[in-house]
Amino acid sequence: MAKVTDIVLWDKPGEKVLLLGNHAIARGALEANIAVYAAYPGTPSSELTDTMAAVAEKAGVYMEYSTNEKVAFETALSAAWSGLRAMTAMKHVGLNVAADTFMSAVGMGVEGGFVIMVADDPSMWSSQNEQDTRMYAKFANVPVLEPSSPHEAKEMTKYAFELSEKFKHFVILRTTTRSSHARGDVVLGELPEEIKTGKRKFGKFKKDPTRFVDIPAHSRKFHPLILEKIEKIREELNNCPFNWIEGKEDAKVGIIAPGLSYSYVKEALAWLGVEDVKILKLGTPFPVPYGLLEKFMDGLEKVLIVEELEPVVEEQVKTWAYDKGLRVPIHGKDLVPRVYEMTTRRAVEAIAKFLGIETPINFAEIDEKYEKVSQIVPPRPPSLCPACPHRNTFFAIRKAAGPKAIFPSDIGCYTLGVLPPLKTVDTTVAMGASIGVAHGLSIATNGSLAEKEYKGGKEKQIIVATIGDSTFFHTGLPALANAIYNRSNVLIVVLDNEVTAMTGDQPNPGTGQTPHGPGKRILIEEVARAMGADFVEVVDPYDIKATYETIKKALKVEGVSVVVSRQPCALYRIGQMRRRGEKWPIYHVIEDKCTGCKICINAYGCPAIYWDPETKKAKIDPSMCWGCGGCAQVCPFDAFEPMKEGE
Amino acid sequence: MREYNIVITGVGGQGILTAANLLGWAALHAGHKVRVGEVHGMSQRFGSVIAYVRFGEDVYGAMVPEGKADVILSFEPVEALRYINYLKKGGLVFTNARPIPPVQVSMGLATYPTLDEMKKIVEEDFGGKFMAFDAEKLALEAGNIVTTNVVLIGALSQTPGFPLSEEGIKEVIRISVPPKTIDVNMKAFELGVKAAKEMLGL
Repeated sequence: MAKVTDIVLWDKPGEKVLLLGNHAIARGALEANIAVYAAYPGTPSSELTDTMAAVAEKAGVYMEYSTNEKVAFETALSAAWSGLRAMTAMKHVGLNVAADTFMSAVGMGVEGGFVIMVADDPSMWSSQNEQDTRMYAKFANVPVLEPSSPHEAKEMTKYAFELSEKFKHFVILRTTTRSSHARGDVVLGELPEEIKTGKRKFGKFKKDPTRFVDIPAHSRKFHPLILEKIEKIREELNNCPFNWIEGKEDAKVGIIAPGLSYSYVKEALAWLGVEDVKILKLGTPFPVPYGLLEKFMDGLEKVLIVEELEPVVEEQVKTWAYDKGLRVPIHGKDLVPRVYEMTTRRAVEAIAKFLGIETPINFAEIDEKYEKVSQIVPPRPPSLCPACPHRNTFFAIRKAAGPKAIFPSDIGCYTLGVLPPLKTVDTTVAMGASIGVAHGLSIATNGSLAEKEYKGGKEKQIIVATIGDSTFFHTGLPALANAIYNRSNVLIVVLDNEVTAMTGDQPNPGTGQTPHGPGKRILIEEVARAMGADFVEVVDPYDIKATYETIKKALKVEGVSVVVSRQPCALYRIGQMRRRGEKWPIYHVIEDKCTGCKICINAYGCPAIYWDPETKKAKIDPSMCWGCGGCAQVCPFDAFEPMKEGE
Repeated sequence: MREYNIVITGVGGQGILTAANLLGWAALHAGHKVRVGEVHGMSQRFGSVIAYVRFGEDVYGAMVPEGKADVILSFEPVEALRYINYLKKGGLVFTNARPIPPVQVSMGLATYPTLDEMKKIVEEDFGGKFMAFDAEKLALEAGNIVTTNVVLIGALSQTPGFPLSEEGIKEVIRISVPPKTIDVNMKAFELGVKAAKEMLGL
């Protein structure tokens, strides 16, 4: 098991390796001779970006962690305009951020191949909503490729660049959690000479304002052009190597399986022992190639479409069939759920119902027994890590602002502050929304200091927003400018742990590092001061008392206050210390001093602290303590102390 | 072999994804078609974590379907129970015996079942076999608590009908871990093998 970044650069065509879907896509991009890659991390797309960052210098690829998806999109797009092969990646909600540029620029097309990798998250394992990117693809008339295995993900990436270049059009490579985060056997292909030698490729931009300036006179020409292109692409996809018909040729029953659903359908059919069926494997859920569809439908008496989330393929197939006057029953979302992710079980149940046969095992019986088990299994939601600086900041905020305060928060690890015992997150909507919502709530409850009749609400509503460093740069900036300009009465606490922690410790402007070497570090407090915030201070959250006092002071200020709470991400810090072989203090409970008051558990909630029901005292799991000493600060009885050597 | 399914569970940060990746590589080296399923991001932060390792001729998706796991390998006892619906009839649960009580339990909002209660459910309701042993103690004996996952993999390699060879897995561990930790990891593996042999009466 070699290092992934080594494998991705291996010059070993034909070698079979085990790669994560996202790693396989990175390899595919390199095999396709990519020149520029720009992205903002977002689960489940992040490993693609991190892999590109790790190999960029060696492969001669320009790579950047952009501040948000829209900016990343524009970086990569401009490279593609300049004739280079370029790629951007994001999670599904990231496409919402990039959508403005995406929708407007699609008509301009590209010169070099341009691939937009979008990772959807059905079932929302690490996301705030469940959206189907194929809807966007259809909306924008951009073809979407969807792999059914890690190896196919790699091959498809190469093909996506070729398709994009051939039609000078955007191409979306859509994955889901279960294809981005699945490992599978991947056969390595050839790497181009320029990647092997690490030769950086440069492009040339040819001016053409009628194409690149979207004033109405120009853009009116785009829309018909887009529609013309997508129909040509639909035609081309009849011969796409990722679309095919398999199974029994004269079967009366057909199943259409796009993307990853193909793998679930194959497994379900094997489990059910069903062979008398024809399958249309679709690597291109939009646009559905009608020529291939017509061949597939020939002789069929009924059809089932097994697709995850929205009925994107179903609607295309039904429309086509209606126009053809075909009277074959077409099933889809009547048998396959429209919410949450596809599973083999779901495919088995849908196919069994469709064919009127029994499922191979009694799922209902398992569910029934499991229902009983779930009653006695205690919940274990994710939590802020031991020594996470955010826990201390939240603890100080709660204490300083009191229970009546409202706490708008944002997207990041710190969203976990919603859970007991911290409960310092009242709203979370989208990246950067904490500041926008805080401002709006202040206007609604207190009014604006800019209003001539400003008297404040009946009683000043305290509003404390929390936002991470990366999120601050992502979309917090315009919201902060808005709050300061329009004079609301809020405190914004920037939880600055100096990395983009939730997605895997990527750097951001506050970190200052780039994959190519040092960039320029931007300090959040300097930005806030320059914007004209009424109060700006930096605190160390490992000093809970000082943090509390600064927040108290900030809350007295009328206007927009910004407190930057700075301490590196504990997970990141401990990982680095481990690699260097360094040690950190491990705390323990002095039993005689512990009164069993439970403040450390009921108000602070570090996962390393647990309750011993026998002694009725708190205890620390030494394997989980990362030594911040927060427990010692919140305990009223001084019962926590670092262990001495040999204890 | 058509398919072999392993479900690995535990608490985020225990080395679950590493264990899944090691087993995946061992299966690939043995010539199987492989799928490993993981969840990244927020879910990993000290929450309940599940990973899937599948290999054989007939594997496609990365998730083991309910009722199809040959083995549940659990790094923490109650996490085995949380995913017990994946176990097939006659399947085996191998778990580290030391509980990590969730914050909700410490806060008094939930209770933690005993190992005996868990064994009863696994064996009577789900027709499986439940075996718990202190893998962490063995890892410490080997020289480092972080090798708990290797102890568990060593134990797994002894389960009846397990299709991957002991030597094959050890080879992958040898080439994967930092060179100076090879000995500790090999010792951890052997201690897991020994513990499983005793429990299984081999």
